[in-house]
Amino acid sequence: MEMSLRSQLLKGILEGCILAIINQQTVYGYELSVKLQQFGLTDVSEGSIYPILLRLQKEKLIEGTLKESPSGPKRKYYHLTKEGQEALKEFIIQWDSVKIPVDNILEKGGN
Amino acid sequence: MHSKEIIELNNHLREELTEENKKLYENMIIYIRTTSNKSEQQTEEVLLEILEHFVQAQKDGKTASEIFGNNIKEYCDEIIHEIPGEKRNKNIKFGLFIGIQYLALISFIFGVTSFGINYFFDLGSNVLTFSVGSGLVVIGCYLLLLYLLVKIIFKMIQKTTFLNIKKWVEFLLTWLFLTAYITLFYFIPKLIPSFGTTLSIPIIALGVIGGVLYLGTIVVDRKLRFTK
Repeated sequence: MEMSLRSQLLKGILEGCILAIINQQTVYGYELSVKLQQFGLTDVSEGSIYPILLRLQKEKLIEGTLKESPSGPKRKYYHLTKEGQEALKEFIIQWDSVKIPVDNILEKGGN
Repeated sequence: MHSKEIIELNNHLREELTEENKKLYENMIIYIRTTSNKSEQQTEEVLLEILEHFVQAQKDGKTASEIFGNNIKEYCDEIIHEIPGEKRNKNIKFGLFIGIQYLALISFIFGVTSFGINYFFDLGSNVLTFSVGSGLVVIGCYLLLLYLLVKIIFKMIQKTTFLNIKKWVEFLLTWLFLTAYITLFYFIPKLIPSFGTTLSIPIIALGVIGGVLYLGTIVVDRKLRFTK
């Protein structure tokens, strides 16, 4: 599947953010999308987390387990695996190595 | 939870959607399910997950396009792309199972009706004479025919789900395929020249073999859950 640079970038970043949120606490799909939006990622359509969750499971970075939720219905709750924690660390390192230079470039470019 | 239980849960929960959302979600289900080479368990798990999301989002006053974007088909393709692929092994076993059950049913119906017609109305013969070679070719053709029919219908469903095709067009297409299927089904044995050793068996034997084989497949299915 051909993807634009923009959507590839966004996907990679979204993946990292999802790993970070799941690392803080186990969440189910809807909860995760609400959290992403609360952090301000409102540009992403909510449903786009599901292809990503599937991919992260395939890559064994997260695992989902069906559990009874407090409100009744069974829900799939996700947690990070060991590999997932490694991948999150890797993402943080990569993000830091890009974030500052890009900010600097954009600031200069803006002048 | 087994995929059958998840499907039941899904059927139940779907009722909480509004008419419009339900229709949209059902189209998604049809489209995703008919892409048959993916794990059923994984497929049903993600379908239920999406449905739960949809129901909750609806309660929070969100629209379908806020959740799935503006191109539903593209969204479904993305999901399908990420569902872990089913081991081919299971598909082959499933295909073999359906093929045997289908042949058993044909022999049963053909054997019993031919026997009945001969017994009660003295029409036709109570013995089936066929040559082994062409018999096997006919069986092969029947299996191929079933395979093609299933493939074509699945493809048709996939292509038309999000197109809002008129009911009568859908009906006409289905009717056309079925007519072609029945015509070929009828003419294949007549078109294949006989070769190989000739065998004669009482026609009721064919019915009995078909019936026993069919019951056998049901027992095997209970044990191994090919279709459950």
